[in-house]
Amino acid sequence: MKNIESMLLEITNLHARVEEKEILKGLNLSIKPGEVHAIMGPNGSGKSTLSNVIAGREGYEVTEGTVLFDGKNLLDLEPEVRACEGIFLGFQYPVEIPGVSNITLLKAAINARRKHQGEAEIAPNDFLAWVRDRAKLVKIDPKMLSRGVNEGFSGGEKKRNEILQMLVLQPRLMILDETDSGLDIDALKVVSDGINALRGPERATVLVTHYQRLLDYVQPDYVHVLARGRIVKSGGPELAKELEEKGYGWLEAA
Amino acid sequence: MSAQPHELATYSAQFERYANALTAAERAPRSVQFSRFLASGFPDKHQEDWRYSDLSRLAEQNYEPDVTTADGLPIVLLPDADALVYINGHLQGAPSTSRWHSDTCELPPPATGVDALNAAFASGGLRLRLDRNTKLEKPLQVLFISRAEAQASMSHQRHRIELGDQAEATVLLDFSGGGGERLATHFFDVRLGRGAKLTLYRIQNEAAGGTLVTRIDAKLSRDAKFEALTVDLGGGFIRHDLDVVLAESGAEAIVAGLYAQAKNSHIDNHVRAVHAAPHCTSRMTYRGLVDEKTKAVFNGKVVVQPGAQKTDSEQRIANLLLSRKAEVNAKPDLEIYADDVKCAHGATVGQLDEVALAYLRSRGIAKEVARAMLLRAFALEILDRIEWPALRTRIEAALHLPSELTVDFEA
Repeated sequence: MKNIESMLLEITNLHARVEEKEILKGLNLSIKPGEVHAIMGPNGSGKSTLSNVIAGREGYEVTEGTVLFDGKNLLDLEPEVRACEGIFLGFQYPVEIPGVSNITLLKAAINARRKHQGEAEIAPNDFLAWVRDRAKLVKIDPKMLSRGVNEGFSGGEKKRNEILQMLVLQPRLMILDETDSGLDIDALKVVSDGINALRGPERATVLVTHYQRLLDYVQPDYVHVLARGRIVKSGGPELAKELEEKGYGWLEAA
Repeated sequence: MSAQPHELATYSAQFERYANALTAAERAPRSVQFSRFLASGFPDKHQEDWRYSDLSRLAEQNYEPDVTTADGLPIVLLPDADALVYINGHLQGAPSTSRWHSDTCELPPPATGVDALNAAFASGGLRLRLDRNTKLEKPLQVLFISRAEAQASMSHQRHRIELGDQAEATVLLDFSGGGGERLATHFFDVRLGRGAKLTLYRIQNEAAGGTLVTRIDAKLSRDAKFEALTVDLGGGFIRHDLDVVLAESGAEAIVAGLYAQAKNSHIDNHVRAVHAAPHCTSRMTYRGLVDEKTKAVFNGKVVVQPGAQKTDSEQRIANLLLSRKAEVNAKPDLEIYADDVKCAHGATVGQLDEVALAYLRSRGIAKEVARAMLLRAFALEILDRIEWPALRTRIEAALHLPSELTVDFEA
């Protein structure tokens, strides 16, 4: 018997659809604190759908199954409440929001979480120091934070900005949806350093990726292959290398 | 067809009573205006300029002219400004600024429709006249307060702002309503001398029963600069016309506005910039937040007359439609009779960016806070132009978009 108590995320028989199309078809996944899981798989296998269902984005309908986060039924919670509970989704295509500055977003997000936890708002000086330190880590010029969210940012800057938000918010579960796509090697290094900086016994990470490349920098404990809405194979880091060599064909045929 | 004259019987009775109190010399020009009003009636949807803003329903109303001089209403004065206060068209008290008031007014050439109605009944009002090279020390806040009367009531005023060459002033036209069925019309004649600079704010927060028709006619001499900013926050039926004539070269008109009512209000902005001389600049930037059952109309027109070469004009209109029952009619319009000009225009009607909303929520920000952040972002284009901190704070509070939604970061 599995010990549910020790699980951070427990997904059981998850079925989900987008519009009328069933994408996830009975997915099971258990993640303990401290673990890093990589989810790989061909296009259209349901990787992004899984990320979005966990984060609670509208437009994704769960038709069957359960998702427990720290023992709580996640599917009952609004997306903002999930975030306050400690779930962070790093987007594949971060949106630009002119008129809402990065720093405004960060402060609103931090204080929303503190309010959720029954804490007072963060002191302005503490906040700025906290953000400034983390901006340094992902090589973002603090001046850029006064601009609109991702406004005029390059692709790499947007991804680094996602990591900055994650570092600032200190989530318990980090889900990074193809955060490595479109990054040059320097940016990949910065993003990986950010993820590694948050690794710890109380946090877990889900890396959704197409490529082995990211996994050279962020060593996963487990690698899963998602195909046709289910996890069809799980293994250790060596599985990612095998996939890099052989592709997905041999698994899809199975 | 406009409203039938026989339906205007209540106005005729009111006018008769009003005219009887005038001398024969005073009465004659008023009677001309009133006859014109009777002939044309209230504008209705058959007139292109009023297509979406039919006023013919007013024909059967019975508005008593206000005779009271009311006081005791809460009056919100802005700090660091001089104030002139009118309640239902009557000057209040005898403030030091009453030198900027005139009991009498000049009438326009015979007009039609609401212009004629205004001219027939109009009393005086604001009369700001600055000599050349003078500067108004403090901004002037002119409050026009509508107070509920026992019966439906109306008032009509004509105002004038005249700045001599190189003169400078900042004026706030501050319309607010305390409820009740009211009709008010206000006409502002604005003349700017050479190199004069006027910053004119118009803020409107009438009550739901208020019908307010305002018109600003501005004429700019050489190198004059006119900055006009209008914010509509309330009201029942609101119509505002802003006509700017860039009469001599080098004149510049920068007009902007935000309309953001909810409930059932009807807000119609008609803005016109006429380039009558070469080398003039005009900018129109309007934003609308249209919610609940509000109907918003925006008509922006730039006319470039023959010979007005090197005209530089731009119109940008953007609306957010926030409810299925709200309605926006936005139309940018250009009439160009010169060949060496730069005229850009664009109008959009969109909805709240759901992707941005989802993004903010995914970071833990509650839906209603995230929504306010996005609305504020949309309105900032206009709010950022308000260079009067106390005024800006007041408007942001009325919009429920407090500045706490924005964090400054001195990096």
